[in-house]
Amino acid sequence: MSAAVDGELTPKEREGFEKHIVKCPSCLSEFKEAQKTKSLIREKIVRFKAPQSLVNSVLKLTDSLF
Amino acid sequence: MTSSPHKKNTPAQKSALSEKEKIKQQEFQEEAVEHINALYNYALHLSMNPDDAHDLVQETYLKAYKFFDSFEKGTNCKAWLFKILKNNYINKFRKNAREPGKVDYDLIKDFYHSIKDTQSDSEDLNAGYFRSLMHDEVYQALNSLPEEFKEVIQLCDIEGFTYEEIANMVESPIGTVRSRLYRGRKLLRSKLNEFAKKYGYNTDNEETP
Ligand SMILES: [Zn+2]
Repeated sequence: MSAAVDGELTPKEREGFEKHIVKCPSCLSEFKEAQKTKSLIREKIVRFKAPQSLVNSVLKLTDSLF
Repeated sequence: MTSSPHKKNTPAQKSALSEKEKIKQQEFQEEAVEHINALYNYALHLSMNPDDAHDLVQETYLKAYKFFDSFEKGTNCKAWLFKILKNNYINKFRKNAREPGKVDYDLIKDFYHSIKDTQSDSEDLNAGYFRSLMHDEVYQALNSLPEEFKEVIQLCDIEGFTYEEIANMVESPIGTVRSRLYRGRKLLRSKLNEFAKKYGYNTDNEETP
């Protein structure tokens, strides 16, 4: 199920999965719920920008190493 | 000609590196710095503390550059950096028995509120009442999960790593990653339902058959 949501199924597995969910309402609804959860995470978890001071210090650090 | 004022760090020492090595270093440097935001977020998620996150990222780069030779071009640089950061985190906090992860929700909330306005809410998310959940509520729900679930969800859904990359990072078989994702998402859904009810969002569509 997770693999289906994440696009990690092999083509053959995917075919089997797609055949199964049209016949199995409980797997279909579980699949949809899992998809929703994934997209919610993607949409709502805010990404921070690294502070400029950190970017600067990393750049400086790496420059001094080379 | 007797006094040489700049005895230390003569340019000659630096040019000991071959042209080829220099190019490799430069490429690596350019690619690695691209991932600084992702690394910072990961560090923040792990440590829950901006100062620790800052240090973790800095130490990660230091290690990465020291061992850039062991980095194979063409492999996932981001995954490699994440792995270094994770190991560093474990060494720093778990082994020293220093208490990380004291979740400071106020701090996190401040962060969210300061940037919420810049977020686009226009994405088409077919998620019913879940849409009403705020960033910090989703964040809290995610954070309430046991570490092993939280981690794989973060790496998969937020950072977009493949199962194989995640398996390598958490040092577990792919099957384990898969089942943790499955169980973690299930758990997360029930937490989100709890939150949605608690904050009085409309949960009708969940109850209708
Ligand atoms: Zn089924």
